[in-house]
This record gives sequence, structure tokens and C-alpha cells, in this order.
Amino acid sequence: MAESTLDARQDARPTAGHVTLERVNTPPAQTWNYLRANDITLTVPVHSRKGDVFFALPRLFEGVECGMGPTVTAWAESQAKDAHYVEVKAGEKRKEPIAAQEDTGVMVRAGAEATIVICTQPDGPVQDTTAALVRVIAERGARVHLLEFVCGGSDQRLDSVGIVADEDARIDVRQFFLGAGTTAAGLAVALDGNRARLDLTCRYLGREQDILDINHVVRQRGRNTHCDVRESGVLDGHAKKSLRATIDLVHGSSGSEGAELENVLILSDDVTNKTMPVILCDEDDVAGNHGASIGSVGPEQIQYLRDRGLSMQEAEGLYVRALFDEALICAPTPQTRAAVLARATDVLGSEVANDLVDGLGLRDAEEV
Amino acid sequence: MSNQLLRVSGLSAGTEDKPILHDVSLAVGAGETHVLMGPNGAGKSTLGHVIMGDPAYQVSSGTIEFDGKDVTEDAADKRSLAGIFLSYQAPVEVPGVPLYSYLRTITQKRPELKMTARKFRARVGEIADQLDMGSSFLTRELNVGFSGGEKKKIEMLQLLLLRPKLAILDETDSGLDVDALSVVSRGIETYRADCDGALLVITHNTRILERLKVDRTHVMVQGHLVAEGPASLIDSIDEHGFEQFEKASAVAGGERA
Repeated sequence: MAESTLDARQDARPTAGHVTLERVNTPPAQTWNYLRANDITLTVPVHSRKGDVFFALPRLFEGVECGMGPTVTAWAESQAKDAHYVEVKAGEKRKEPIAAQEDTGVMVRAGAEATIVICTQPDGPVQDTTAALVRVIAERGARVHLLEFVCGGSDQRLDSVGIVADEDARIDVRQFFLGAGTTAAGLAVALDGNRARLDLTCRYLGREQDILDINHVVRQRGRNTHCDVRESGVLDGHAKKSLRATIDLVHGSSGSEGAELENVLILSDDVTNKTMPVILCDEDDVAGNHGASIGSVGPEQIQYLRDRGLSMQEAEGLYVRALFDEALICAPTPQTRAAVLARATDVLGSEVANDLVDGLGLRDAEEV
Repeated sequence: MSNQLLRVSGLSAGTEDKPILHDVSLAVGAGETHVLMGPNGAGKSTLGHVIMGDPAYQVSSGTIEFDGKDVTEDAADKRSLAGIFLSYQAPVEVPGVPLYSYLRTITQKRPELKMTARKFRARVGEIADQLDMGSSFLTRELNVGFSGGEKKKIEMLQLLLLRPKLAILDETDSGLDVDALSVVSRGIETYRADCDGALLVITHNTRILERLKVDRTHVMVQGHLVAEGPASLIDSIDEHGFEQFEKASAVAGGERA
């Protein structure tokens, strides 16, 4: 395994002001503007780059489409302290997860396997904006597991991820957007090679005044590719969520299948929930499905839970606890578990949060 | 009857537009096993749900006392925490909630059952073994995609975990094959042996009663309790069906009218 840090600019960068990133996180095909579901506009800080000498990732990564779009890519590249390049050699099964930084490129060579982790750090003072730009190239037969945990730590979080999958490559992505404030996340996966496969699971929580803006784009270019996209979440308080999910069955992708399904649970009348599932199709011999279910907890389910001793509030809280349970199960490192636990403590209280850790037997193995 | 745990007195209840139960009175002592039988549509399940506090039904008159307290106005969660458990005839699917999270949450709500997570995992594993269940079900969503038999086993798992003072089993045996029925019967037997809890078994099938010592049998027809007797009444029903009670009820109904 070769790993190198290409740039190590100093962090003592003065903030030169802010810039507005207009209409980012857009899907390939947009809908009516008046629905205000097509994009998000974000104001982000810019640091002075005067006198900096910096290096970018290898040029190969320039061709990787990222979910939040080129404007965010350019901003993130210009602001990253380091460009972080990791290469996993052909055939290597890398056990240690790769911790993605502000600007990270990962090359997973043919037949190799790697786990990449994006995780916010909720400890310490809350920052204005944090971001991660992660680009991954999975060569023939490679396996990539990408785990993304947004657990607070900044008022605004931007995650832009792009993955290109070659022949027979398999990509598993699990996203947990659990953070407070504004979370804007885009993921673009190009299944370029024949039989390349993506399994994407996205879980989110929006509460209080949280804003969630999620853009998933899957380009199925190779023949017999397969993608399965599952999003689900819980919205409460005055949370606002927009989810754009596009499966693009490109000409030449014959025999490919793509499916997308979202389930959202709404616990408050003040929630704003927008979902924009799109299937683009330029090939005959393909199958594309999408669906969305939006609802509150059904009266039968509530009654069942109340019959077992839970109040209405506790019954609804069970759904939130379940999100954190799953996030903790999936968190692969002590740092990610600590981040999820810190957020769980904020949302559920320390007693329940500690119980989550105990319940999963994590405390036996480590002091979280 | 000494040490009454449940006392239902003159209870009438129904949905908004339809009265279902009429002047029902019933008493179950601590540790006793009662059986409630009756033809389809008699109101047996409704009685179970009204005792549990299901807001789909309104009580128009009468009272429900449990463990010495009037719980007629209490919400279902309070009744549950007081020690009443209703096993559903058709357990509800709850997507988005893994079984483990659910079991842990409902257990931690009861101060007398609070335990460390390690002990909890061991306890759940022990009960699961008794019910011939694998461990993988714990990560699955509550009742989602489970077979009918598996759902009933999950109900029994909760019964043994929560150790209620009174368990109302609403046709727990319905739709079970022979093997699943045997496992569920074993669960009920274990509950009686380990928890010494009282049982109100609503059933059509006397096979589930074979391993239980029944104290009293009640017969319900058209929302009325029309007969009460010892365990031998079950044999009589097995032999003659409900016709005798339905006729008596029709006569009594005519007289009431």
C-alpha cells in the first residue's frame, strides 16, 4: 500500500471573508424552479491563499464527477489544507480504514479492497463550516466500502463524494447524516465498467432547525450494472430536508438494473420534506424502479408500542434511537464510534447513549 | 376468590358507532389461569384490547381494576407498566425499529427489570433458545417480514422478558403449525412456572390449553359473558360447541329487549 500526503500547507490561514456557492448539489435533470427542490445555495468561508504553494491530486481524479458539483469541488480544493492521496495496491485487502480528510483521493487498484471513512469531529468548539471532498477510483474487481458519518461539530457541513467503478467493481456506501445545523451532501457514482455494482444506504435525522440537502447521482454506463439505493430517515421539529436521487441509465448500459427507495418518517407538522426521485433512461434493455413512502408513525404501530409501556414520545423516540443503534453498529473505528456517541448524547441523553454502547458490547472492547 | 388481580365490573364498551361489550363482569386472581371462549365476533378480542386500554374503544360504563387500582382511565402504557400484557392476535409490523433496540427500550422502562446490557443480552439469548429462535432476528426490524409463527414467538419472547402480572393471550395459537404451537405452548408454560403470572387465554383451540391448569372458563356471546365454570366447561364446549350458549343468549336478549 502506498500512501502519501501531497500537500501540507499550514493551518494558520486567515479568513478572507465568505463566498456564496450558488445553486449547488444539483441533479442531472432538474424540475420546476418554483418547487425549490433543485439545489441549495450556501455561503462558505474563504481563506487567503496568498503565497501558498500547493499540490493537487493526480490529474486522473479531475475526471471524477462529485455529487455536489464542480463549484463545490473548486471551492473545496482551494480551501483544503492537504490533498491526501492513498493508493491501495492491486489485490491488497486493506484492513485499516482510510480516514478521509478535506481533499482526499483514493485509488483502489484491481482486485483490492478498502474501507474509507468520512467522519466529522463533534468534539471541541463548533466551527462555522467544515467540508470533505473525496474522490475514489475503483479498478476492475475492486471492493470499496465507504462509510460517512456527519455527527455535528460545525454549523454547516459539506460532503462531496465521487466514485468511479470499473468492471466488476463493487461499491458499498453507508451514509449517516445525524448532525445538527446544515448538512449538504452529494454523492455521484459512475458504474462505468460492466457488472459494476453499487449498494447505497443513507440514514438521516433532521430535528429542530436542521437543514438536510442530499443529492445522489448514479450513472450506469457499463453493461449489466446494478445499483440499489435505499434512503430512510426521521424528521422532527422544524427540520427541512431535500433529497434528490437520480439513476441515469446511459446508452449502452444494456442489462443494467437500478432501484431507489426512500422511506421518511415525519414526527412534526412543521417539517418540510422534499423528495425528488428521477430515473433517466437512454437504453431499452434496462430496469429502473423508484419509490418513496412518506408518513407518520401509524396508529396501529403507536398502539403496539404503547401496549408495551412506551409513551407517545418514547414510541417516536424509538425510531431515533434505532438510527443511532445502526450508526454505532456500522462505525468501524473508536473515533467514529466516539463521534456517533457524542451526537447520540446530544439527541437522546447520556443514559440512552451509554446504553447504546453497552448494548452493542462496545464498552467491553474499548473505552469510548 | 382471594387476592384478585383483575376485576372488570359492569363493563360496556365499543367503537364510536357500535357497542360491542355489554355489562361484562370478570375477576382473575393472581396466578390464576382463565380461558375466554366464544364464537367468532363475540367480542373476546375487544375485551382484551379494552382491558389493555386501546383508545380505539370507548368505555361507556363500568370499571377495570388492576392490582387494587382503578385503571379505567389510564393510558395503555401505564397499564403495561403496572403489569398488564396483551399478546396480539396479529402482531403489528414496525419498520425502522430493530428488534434489539425495541426490546432494550421496553425493558429499561421497568425499574424492576433494569439490568446491564451484558446481562440483558444474555437474558434475551436464553429466552430465544427456549423458543428455538436464532440470534440473527435481533437485528431485523420488529415483526417486519417475519412469518406468523415467528411473530408469535416474538410475542412470547416479550412475555418472558417483561414478566407481567397478567398476560392476555389473544388467540396466540391462531395460524400456527404444530411445531410453532408446541414452542408457543412451552413459552406460556415457562411464563406460568417462572413468573407465576395470571393468564387470560382467548382461544378457539383447546390444544394450547393442554399443558395448562385452567382455573376458570368464561363464555362470551354477542358481547355478553353468558357462562362461567370450571375447566370441565372447555370439554363441554369441545363436544357441543357454542350453540347452547348462543340459544341462551338469544333468549336472554329477547327478555332484555
